[in-house]
Amino acid sequence: MNIRRNAKLLVEPPSVATGDIAFNLIIFFLVCASTQPDSGRRQDLPRSETKQQQAQQSKNIEIALSKNEILLNAQRIPEADLASRLKRDLAAKKRPEDRIVVVKSSKDTPYDRWISITGLIETAGGVVTLQLEEEQTVLR
Amino acid sequence: MKLARRMPKCEVPSTAMGDIAFNLLIFFVILARAVDDSHVKWRPAVSSNIQTAGHAMLRIAVDKDRKIFLNGQEVGAASITADKLSAMLANAPQGSRKVFLKVDRETPAAQFEPIIEAASAAGAELVHVLNEEKR
Repeated sequence: MNIRRNAKLLVEPPSVATGDIAFNLIIFFLVCASTQPDSGRRQDLPRSETKQQQAQQSKNIEIALSKNEILLNAQRIPEADLASRLKRDLAAKKRPEDRIVVVKSSKDTPYDRWISITGLIETAGGVVTLQLEEEQTVLR
Repeated sequence: MKLARRMPKCEVPSTAMGDIAFNLLIFFVILARAVDDSHVKWRPAVSSNIQTAGHAMLRIAVDKDRKIFLNGQEVGAASITADKLSAMLANAPQGSRKVFLKVDRETPAAQFEPIIEAASAAGAELVHVLNEEKR
């Protein structure tokens, strides 16, 4: 008697291995995505001052910052000279409250310029404080 | 003649196990992305003295279209207040009150200064996320 052999073998891909490979791939990409930590600059800002408070502390150094110019205590100064001027002005001041530098930015000052100038102030030993414009309603 | 009984073969369905693991992973990845702000398109400012910032408790971003994101979710400018940030930071101790600020380099002061002010008033430890300046 002739027995017909089933020549067609059922070939299945190893599904266990596929699952494991997918799992490991996901873990790999997750780890890759999470291993790049953010880097940056820490900044401790005292509370910003209102104009009234600022008037009481007139001895503080004041920097008015705009897109194209810098005023140090109301005097125009080139950016290249700012660090040396600040170092000189802050040298005699020892207490942190005396080393406050009030930064008042015009509305259009871009962030990269602001970061660059506040970085210079901190490097010179100053403590940056913001002075924000207060909104006022005019009643008629 | 005695015929030996065939024992039925019992196996754990491994394909299903793989699928379950896969779906669990996808679930957690999606959850993790809910507080992720990697989709925000912004151009970092550069600075020379930057350090690795560690882990943030809150992430505030301003993208190049001036949209504001809090922990990856778009919010209005009025939503970033000292009270709200203070509530989100809750009673976290000093050292773990880090707020990462990712601001596009061309964002005007009128937009980013109130955010900095609010974070500062909330007692946050502010970290400006920046790129290292190439020399």
